[in-house]
Amino acid sequence: MKKILYIIPLIFILFSCQKSKEKQVSYIITKSISGFDVNYRVADGSLVKQSIEAASAQDRWQYSFTAEEGDIVFVSAIYTDISSAINVQILIDGKVYKQGSSSQDTVRYVTVSGTVPFQ
Amino acid sequence: MRKGICLIAFSLLLALGAVMAQELPDTLISLEAVVIIGVEVPEQAYPIDDIHRLEIDVLPTKDIGELMRQIPNVNGIRKGGAVLDPVVRGFKYSQLNVQLNGGQKIEGGCPNRMDPATAHVDVDDIRALEVIKGPFALRYGPNFGGVVNMKTVQPLPQRVFGVNVGAMMGYESNWNGFKQRFSVDGGNDKVFFSLSGNMKKFRDYEDGNGKEVKSSFDRYNYTAQLGVSPIKNNYLILSYDRSYGRNVNFPALPMDEREDNTYMASLDYKAIKVSNTFTEFNAKFYISDVSHLMDNKERPFSDTVVAVSDIQARNYGFRMDGSFDFGENIFVFGTDYEHILKDGERNKTKILEPTMPSMKEDLWNDAQIQNNGLFVLYRRVFGKFTLDAAMRADFNRATSGELKLVKMGNEVYKDSDVESNYTNISASVGGQFHFSKKFVLKLALGRGVRSPDMSERFIMFLPVGYDNYDYLGNPQLKPEANNEIDLSAILTFAKAGTIEGGFFFSYVTDYITGMLVPESVARPQTTGVYGVKKFYNEDHVYLRGFELTYQTPKKYNWGIRARAACTRGINPEATKYIIENGEVTGTETVKNDPLPEIPPLEGAVDVYYRFFDGKLIPNINVRMVASQNQLSEAYMEEKSPGFILLNFNFSYEFNTYLKLTGGVSNILDKAYYEHLNRHIIGGKGNLYEPGRVFYLSVYFNI
Repeated sequence: MKKILYIIPLIFILFSCQKSKEKQVSYIITKSISGFDVNYRVADGSLVKQSIEAASAQDRWQYSFTAEEGDIVFVSAIYTDISSAINVQILIDGKVYKQGSSSQDTVRYVTVSGTVPFQ
Repeated sequence: MRKGICLIAFSLLLALGAVMAQELPDTLISLEAVVIIGVEVPEQAYPIDDIHRLEIDVLPTKDIGELMRQIPNVNGIRKGGAVLDPVVRGFKYSQLNVQLNGGQKIEGGCPNRMDPATAHVDVDDIRALEVIKGPFALRYGPNFGGVVNMKTVQPLPQRVFGVNVGAMMGYESNWNGFKQRFSVDGGNDKVFFSLSGNMKKFRDYEDGNGKEVKSSFDRYNYTAQLGVSPIKNNYLILSYDRSYGRNVNFPALPMDEREDNTYMASLDYKAIKVSNTFTEFNAKFYISDVSHLMDNKERPFSDTVVAVSDIQARNYGFRMDGSFDFGENIFVFGTDYEHILKDGERNKTKILEPTMPSMKEDLWNDAQIQNNGLFVLYRRVFGKFTLDAAMRADFNRATSGELKLVKMGNEVYKDSDVESNYTNISASVGGQFHFSKKFVLKLALGRGVRSPDMSERFIMFLPVGYDNYDYLGNPQLKPEANNEIDLSAILTFAKAGTIEGGFFFSYVTDYITGMLVPESVARPQTTGVYGVKKFYNEDHVYLRGFELTYQTPKKYNWGIRARAACTRGINPEATKYIIENGEVTGTETVKNDPLPEIPPLEGAVDVYYRFFDGKLIPNINVRMVASQNQLSEAYMEEKSPGFILLNFNFSYEFNTYLKLTGGVSNILDKAYYEHLNRHIIGGKGNLYEPGRVFYLSVYFNI
């Protein structure tokens, strides 16, 4: 019985110090008045290309997924309407991790990328 | 919250220990496991140092490399919080034969040695750590500069069936580090077993200046062992170990270890007293498999390029030996075999480009090394004189896929001549003369030959050296030979204690080092390096040094232990590359250039007292390390300042079930770094050692 008294807290200790390392990642693109092309990395590591239509600068495109610490997060967008603009953000657990923007520049992609930080 | 739970549970354990101490009779005796399987070596003419479990328990030790600093003339190269790469008498890397339980080899995955063999064994599994200096011991495989034998706890037969449960929990301040161990072992005289697991979780530490050093790591492992003894004097043990490393930071390397998954298995057989002549037979079969993932995700450069390297390293083999007594002549005949396989690549993803392109580069291309060895040992006692001799032949062959680097469709480098075969002969002879009970003189002479290792043969454009160059393997390198003489003496006085000391001199031929190759042959592939060096054989270098230890007689309650050691290495004619504006602009010959990465003169004194019949032993330790002024010009080595450290530790054996150990290391919170510590990547200076650390461990055995 006394041996069991010893073992119970030991097992308690061994399994009590675990932590989840999953993060909620969101890519958000705003301020485009007429649409844009976007490349973004999804949860399985592949790159997705999409053309997004927008009706006004208030339209918001968002893609969310669950990532682990160290995963690459990547979103890159470009627009063709010279009068447009774009704001690209990466949020991790609801906080802005990185962002970039451009206006009246149809040549250069706005690329925002990095890796999910380790704690 | 979870820390709180841990602390509550920890307090509960202490309270239970106190209760048990009062209630349980002290009639049960806890027996420490003794090794059955493996090779136990009698006293030899060459130096053998060891550290045992009881000594390890009182130290704030997180890994084997760090523990080895306790041995005179042994140090470690620090690149991160843990996993120091051992250096013995100035010999390092593959110049040392590092193995587990007298024969099992482990090939680390990382080309930059963030996981040397010692990294794959948990220090809390260690029963004893043995360091055999010099090229003299030839039964453990090719031996160039010394053998490091990590002896782990193994199950043992018991007369009466029983089960023992052991546990340990420890905490270190500064690192906010937790370590835990749990073990169950038992059995009877026919079947015996052990199961154990360890966990270490350490965060970043602060150095003596209060600066945080990115040094955190998580490591855990479990081991299962089953032994049987169906016939008297015949033992068989099957062992399986699974170990994991997670997020192990190495601020002095271009990458950190993200994941390491290793398994090791072995089958050991031992027969003793086979006949009057055939006294012992040992056999070991093993496999070690390392899966190592590392990346640069916590380096500033990962904002542009994320680099991930994935490496598989496998090592399998066997060793067998038989001991025979022919009257006064004792012979050991044996053979061993080792096969190393290594493959891996680096994936670079350019995350600032709109299409996120990625490219793959081979780090190893199905590289393989096989080594077959045959050895014979001889011993004879002539009255007061004991003669030992040994000889071994190694048949070494290596091959790899083509060494080729292609970038953007262009061939940057190619070497198709990747095969090599060598036959190496090593030999040693030594004598111990017991002039009296007080004075023993020992002399050993030996030649140990080693074939080049994986990196030296097959590495592809990686900055794996001490200096700032990319390195290229050379499949046609010749083996390196260490010709060493070792003279030592032991003086024992019943009242004054024991003084042991000795000198060694090593003459190394075909010394393997790097030579710059022109950019027309190979252009550097790493940002910021000065050029590309290819491994080649330098004519010769030499090393010499001494070790001196003193221990008061163990019959006294008080005691003093002291040690001092130093090694000097010289390259008679080294080539220095002159650097201007980050480029090599010329060369210069340096006469008698000190070898790089040799630790300076060091001494330590321990003073202890055994209270209450040895139940409580406080110990004060002073470690003194001189400034290293012997600096390699060719390697642009920098001077390191000397330092003095004050440490305190204690062990308190509450009863047979409960023991406490603890102490304070670096009491004065000194800001210091060892000469062998690498520089922090990114121009942040030297990698400092931890500042003051309070530590406490509690051990249970029921």
